Amino acid sequence: MHQSIAFRRNKLVFLLFFICLSLAYGERLWAHAVVTESSLAQNPIQPNHATTVVLFFNSNVELPLSRVFLVSKGDVFHPVQIEKGKKPGEMRIHVPSLAPGEYALKYKVFAADGHFTENVIRFHVSEPR
Amino acid sequence: MYMQGLANFIDDFLGGLILISYALVVGSMLWSAFILKVWSSESVSHESVVRRGVGLLRAGAIALAVTQGLKLVIKAAVLTSVLGEFPIEAYIGTVQFQAGLVRFLLSLGLILIASQLRQTPDKQFSWNLAAILTVPMVISGAWLVHGVGRFEDREQLMTMTVLHQFAAAVWFGGVAQLLSLWHMSRRSHEAKALWPIAITRFAWLGVSSVGILLITGLPLAWTYIGSWDGLFGTGYGSLVVTKVILLIVALGFAYLNHRAGRLWLGQRQTSGIDQKVPHYIEAETFILVGVLFIAATLSSQPPSADIKELSATVSEVAEMFAPHVPRLTSPTHEQLLAGEPGRVAVVDKIPSPAATEWSDYNHNVSGLFLTSMGLIAMLSYNRRLRWARYWPLGFVGLSIFLFFRSDAETWPLGPIGFWESTFGNGEVFQHRIATLLAFALGVMEIRARTNREAYRLRYLFPMLCAFGGILLLTHAHAEFELKSEYLIQSTHTAMGLLAVIMASGRWLELRLAGTDENYGGYLEGKIAGFVSIMAMFLIGNVLLFYREPLF
Repeated sequence: MHQSIAFRRNKLVFLLFFICLSLAYGERLWAHAVVTESSLAQNPIQPNHATTVVLFFNSNVELPLSRVFLVSKGDVFHPVQIEKGKKPGEMRIHVPSLAPGEYALKYKVFAADGHFTENVIRFHVSEPR
Repeated sequence: MYMQGLANFIDDFLGGLILISYALVVGSMLWSAFILKVWSSESVSHESVVRRGVGLLRAGAIALAVTQGLKLVIKAAVLTSVLGEFPIEAYIGTVQFQAGLVRFLLSLGLILIASQLRQTPDKQFSWNLAAILTVPMVISGAWLVHGVGRFEDREQLMTMTVLHQFAAAVWFGGVAQLLSLWHMSRRSHEAKALWPIAITRFAWLGVSSVGILLITGLPLAWTYIGSWDGLFGTGYGSLVVTKVILLIVALGFAYLNHRAGRLWLGQRQTSGIDQKVPHYIEAETFILVGVLFIAATLSSQPPSADIKELSATVSEVAEMFAPHVPRLTSPTHEQLLAGEPGRVAVVDKIPSPAATEWSDYNHNVSGLFLTSMGLIAMLSYNRRLRWARYWPLGFVGLSIFLFFRSDAETWPLGPIGFWESTFGNGEVFQHRIATLLAFALGVMEIRARTNREAYRLRYLFPMLCAFGGILLLTHAHAEFELKSEYLIQSTHTAMGLLAVIMASGRWLELRLAGTDENYGGYLEGKIAGFVSIMAMFLIGNVLLFYREPLF
């Protein structure tokens, strides 16, 4: 069962009972560092070619404490390599060669002010023309 | 995953507790300097009163050491849980860890000094040492705030935030000290003599704090928000709005206290300052605790200026609160469960209309309960309608509703059995307890309102409302779908705000109008109680008209 729907269903109970509320945030993470720019918007990933995806965050990110996963159909997670870019807040993600289809990048990043952010960027790899 | 959620929650909640502890330390130092005048050679307060102030300073330092130390540990637990390993060197290398450790060590030092001061409250050397430790404690906060991660105007933002926090700490810490002094004044002549003087002395300190809050808060808000949509259409902006509203309410109480102080100064009128002011200060404390928790939550929100394209418009937010015909029919369990795999998928995510309608139905029916309870509670102010005092029975009905609706896939309506679901899934377990507590609260509140013997039981309701409201506010955070999540969150924030108002209103009613009709603040107490009920009615309205965006 997914956490967020249960949370929404029980908002009223949350209002009244802090003890239970304290246990009810199973899979949520803070969303502080947000992606302000992604290379996926300008340069879609070409099929069967390894690519470097570049993300820009609104805040400095602690790279050794951050992880990125490539998610393929059926929600299968594969860890991918990340490195710091030259500009502030820049993260470079090495994405392996991909067949056409639907994918997502799931990132868990630790912002410089100590907050974790977990988020998903969905993308599509088109058939070669 | 479950432990991760718990660690995350504790980490978030600790942020608010750290601010409160920090405020107790900083506010107590300023209190000692300007109200008790411990550095002055002429007007030194009585030793017992200074010792009492030092007691609160020490309690704040202990709380700060515990919460800050715990934060370092919990953050490590969150890291381990999220990353599946604990990269200790990388963690120790973060600015967050180092600044947190510095603050932790400084608070340990302050505990020692405060302990010495309790023995010898007039020892100037110890006071000087305490002041020397407090300065870096305040400064270390600069590396624990939003600004530290920014690319532009980093130093200015860090400085501004530290000053902002400092001013808030002086206000809250001073209010806590006032409360402590009032409690002492009931059995100490020295404290009783200082009480009205402290109220008048604190007035200018409070006004200075508010001035600094404004001077630093406005440029911070301008930098981090930057537009009207940013103010009303993002989590960050809406929390700032909520914080401002609560601050205005707190300022209202501060004004009433100040006025009572002036009446005492000019005409030696003691009724206000002795009978009403202590309870206004209690209510002000409720509000300021809410403000500090909101401040802590703000640090975990992306600033509005960074998510311009993801902001909701003012009209979209207004639509969330606009009256709709409540949804009184629900999709079936089968329809709900059929849509869940697609809704929670990362790749090939498919929004589930059934989940949205299910949620709408739950909210709207809950709203129906609360709105009705609010209306009946209003009638209960008419003494001829004694039956209306039983309005808390609605909580019992609500608990029964939640029992059936909380977890669609479990007993009694779902395929998973009671024991299996209750003890096999932590989330279902929480819902079972919450349902039971809602039931118990209904029963207890009826007893509290209908039985004069159950005096202490009456305070349970405002306390739980305050905690619930604070938690709704502190968990006002965004995740994957920022805009949709925010639209849902905007209702949480509104209800959190109303819950804090509800709590302080009911508290004031109990304190001012709970015992004796001839008490000085009886009328004010009844008005506060009615405001509290209005807040509950409005929470019911928010739920009644709730419409979840499909995402």
